[in-house]
Amino acid sequence: MASSLPAFVARRRPDWQSLEALLTRQRAGTLRLEELRTLDVLYRRAAADLAHAQTFHPGTDVHRFLNQLCARAYAAIYQPPRERWAALLAFFRRDFPRTLRAHGAFVAASAGLFVLGILLGAVVVLLEPRGAELLVPENLRDYISRKQLWTDGLLSVTPPGAVASGIATNNLTVTIVTFASGLLLGLGTVFVLLNNGVHLGSVAALCVHEGLGAKLFDFIAAHGPVELSIIVIAGGAGLRVGQTLIDPGELPRGQALVLRGRESVKLVLGCAPFLALIAVVEGFISPGDFFPGWVKASLGLALGALFWGYLLRAGNAGPRAGTEAG
Amino acid sequence: MSSPASPSLDVATPERVSLSLPVAGIGYRCLAYLVDLALLFSFWVLAYFVFTLLVSDVVGFFQGLSGLVRTLMVLGVFATQWVYWTLCEVLMGGQTPGKRLVGIRVVRVDGSPVGVLESAVRNLLRVVDSFPLIYAVGCLSVLLTRQHRRLGDLLAGTLLVREERIDLDKYTATAAPSVALPPAGATARLTSGDVELILSFLARAPWLEPAARTRLGTRLVERYGGLDAQQRATLLAAPGGAESFLRARVQAER
Repeated sequence: MASSLPAFVARRRPDWQSLEALLTRQRAGTLRLEELRTLDVLYRRAAADLAHAQTFHPGTDVHRFLNQLCARAYAAIYQPPRERWAALLAFFRRDFPRTLRAHGAFVAASAGLFVLGILLGAVVVLLEPRGAELLVPENLRDYISRKQLWTDGLLSVTPPGAVASGIATNNLTVTIVTFASGLLLGLGTVFVLLNNGVHLGSVAALCVHEGLGAKLFDFIAAHGPVELSIIVIAGGAGLRVGQTLIDPGELPRGQALVLRGRESVKLVLGCAPFLALIAVVEGFISPGDFFPGWVKASLGLALGALFWGYLLRAGNAGPRAGTEAG
Repeated sequence: MSSPASPSLDVATPERVSLSLPVAGIGYRCLAYLVDLALLFSFWVLAYFVFTLLVSDVVGFFQGLSGLVRTLMVLGVFATQWVYWTLCEVLMGGQTPGKRLVGIRVVRVDGSPVGVLESAVRNLLRVVDSFPLIYAVGCLSVLLTRQHRRLGDLLAGTLLVREERIDLDKYTATAAPSVALPPAGATARLTSGDVELILSFLARAPWLEPAARTRLGTRLVERYGGLDAQQRATLLAAPGGAESFLRARVQAER
């Protein structure tokens, strides 16, 4: 027969208290070797007490107390090997680029839609400049009619760090929306891609029409290639989700989504650090005249080439490439 | 008392016992966040006042700075905002001052303490979770996931567990010397559930309404006393009689 609850507590409590004291000192890092041994012994006893409490006194405060105490000691004793860096590294070395290549068709389709949108917007505005009133937001048109780029004010009003973080959140929003709207059977992603393309194309065409083309190019050159690539990749992930919903194969739609959705999420998550990086470029380098145009353009080309080189080549040749790729 | 519905973090230890820790829900998280927010806010207010005391022409001072220094300052502000969370969580064993006050702690999904990398990831993702405003994404994620994790937690592989402050003194507290004598052997043994019930009544009795205190005490004596009607009447007539009787009853279980 199990001992009664008060007797159990009275008998075992001194051990628990010394375990608590040892744990506090362990956290402070002032344990000696023999105390470490005592800690180990006391933890095992407390674990046995927890098993006892689970059986005979479930749901009591003693049970909860022992849960908590053992969890503290468990955390102190069994610290797992810290391999998250390795996992993260492996993801960016192999997993992410491979996933992207596996879904190359979707990314290509997404790029096609985006380019189609750009061409539509540009052609409409170039052929009929009044179309800009329909396609370009009014505040942008105000800027452009004053022969100004809206980005000119960017640095003088707010400090560049704030600009970078603002841009990062904005790009993040666009990326997330592009991906997540794939849940509407992919139609949402198609719309977002076309819409963003038309927007970009019409603004660019209006700038060219008003003689601001060089300035716009100057602003976009450094960050454009990578940023637009990321949006296209997110679009590819969104299309993949939509395709899964339309054609789940032999699985129920929910299960198919969980299974293949994971791959799509990988694509979006993999883009995150590059998105942060490019926001820094967009906030610090792109606006203003700190850097001459050719520097920005070559930087943009180099970043774009590096990004796609990495995506298309990293972790390429199966198991052999595990060590040197990256 | 944790109901089966309230989520918990279950860890199987090599000692073949399973730990189950209660997971902190959205209320605890919000409360802790508000405390931290208030701390950071008061830090900035204080910093501002000190700054204005030292520098008379604030606007002129900032305009006099070069672009690089200004950039560095903005980066510094960002760092202090972000570093606060990670530094606290790493140094205070998964807690920030707000979390410590509320009694919650960040742990990895396997119950081990949070490391620098996890903490950095979950705090960097605050940007995403706070999107578009007042942590809408984070709150939604907390409400929808089984273990109440926001996106940052999901990506970092962490979650928040609740720390209950449990006072074991109530089990070992001794009664006032022999106010009431429970009849030996006349009653059935108390189960641990009964003991817990009586002790939680005794622990809360001082803060109960007098009427409720008497009513609950009477019902407990009727249930666990094993007394006849007359003994019970004399016991309940004495002030605090029921409570000292119950205390002695639990003591007799030793």
